[in-house]
Amino acid sequence: MSGRAKLAGQLLALACVAGLLALLVWRLTHQEHAPKVGSRAPSFTLRRLAGAGSVSLASLHGKPVVINFWASWCGPCKSEAADLERAWSAYRARGVVFLGVDYHDVTGDARRFVTAHGLTFQMLQDGSGDVTTGRYGVTDVPETYVIGRDGRILAHMAGPITGAPFAAEFRSALARAAA
Amino acid sequence: MRVLAVAVLALALAGPAAAACAQPRTSLGYLEGQVMCPTCHTTLDQSDSDAARQIEAFIRTRISRCATAKQIEDELVANFGAGILAAPPKKGFDLLAWWLPIAGVVAGALLLAAGVWRWSRTRRDEPEPPASGLGADEERRLDEALARFE
Repeated sequence: MSGRAKLAGQLLALACVAGLLALLVWRLTHQEHAPKVGSRAPSFTLRRLAGAGSVSLASLHGKPVVINFWASWCGPCKSEAADLERAWSAYRARGVVFLGVDYHDVTGDARRFVTAHGLTFQMLQDGSGDVTTGRYGVTDVPETYVIGRDGRILAHMAGPITGAPFAAEFRSALARAAA
Repeated sequence: MRVLAVAVLALALAGPAAAACAQPRTSLGYLEGQVMCPTCHTTLDQSDSDAARQIEAFIRTRISRCATAKQIEDELVANFGAGILAAPPKKGFDLLAWWLPIAGVVAGALLLAAGVWRWSRTRRDEPEPPASGLGADEERRLDEALARFE
């Protein structure tokens, strides 16, 4: 094999190895992690579940926000729905915004879920799960984040907000957010 | 009376025929292998999760309404994004996923062929092995010595 061809082959092999290494590093550094309490809530823009248009978290800056990730096929989401609606009714007058983010769900089923449980707060749709799993690291719904007026996360409940261990934490975080 | 009974029977048989689809129906089994469960990252036929069961119910409903496999896949992509399909789309950047393996196999075959060709050429050009360097007498004695060991 001529020297030039040999060098080209070696460079190609080196480029392949470097590419695979870069892919590995990228994968390791881009793994999905839930944002920590105290950190800034990841931004997002999602379309409404019903009706046209979308809502971005940035547009709610200065307001306390509760983000509840759910899906119509999720059993515990049904059990916490009424509690969420009650909390929304209690805190809406104090400026707290509730956002429901429906993920990995069939739109028709999600809308029926909202109607069946009488949920009246804003519902957004994240069909691909890019925001839910990608930015908020949600592994299993329901999960709820309470975000303060400064845009920082006050509490994260990785489970239903009904009963132990999250009910008290949710109430406490809501009270702090609305203060 | 008999005419009436025949008419009723004909209508009863005509009902399902009228409800038949213009094209052959796709099947849940086929689509279960083409669609991913978004929460467990396997195809639907390998998943028993709630999300998978919900998508299967959706597919079943759409099939009963004569939707084609393409229509159902398009609706799922609109709802869940392109990641819901087991195979990447054959357009844009995703086309790479189809062509790269083929290009890899072709490049490998070409490299192998080039290697074999060069190896065979090298063998052909190799000089004859040198003669033993023994004289006729020495060779005869060596043959005799070897014959004693046989």
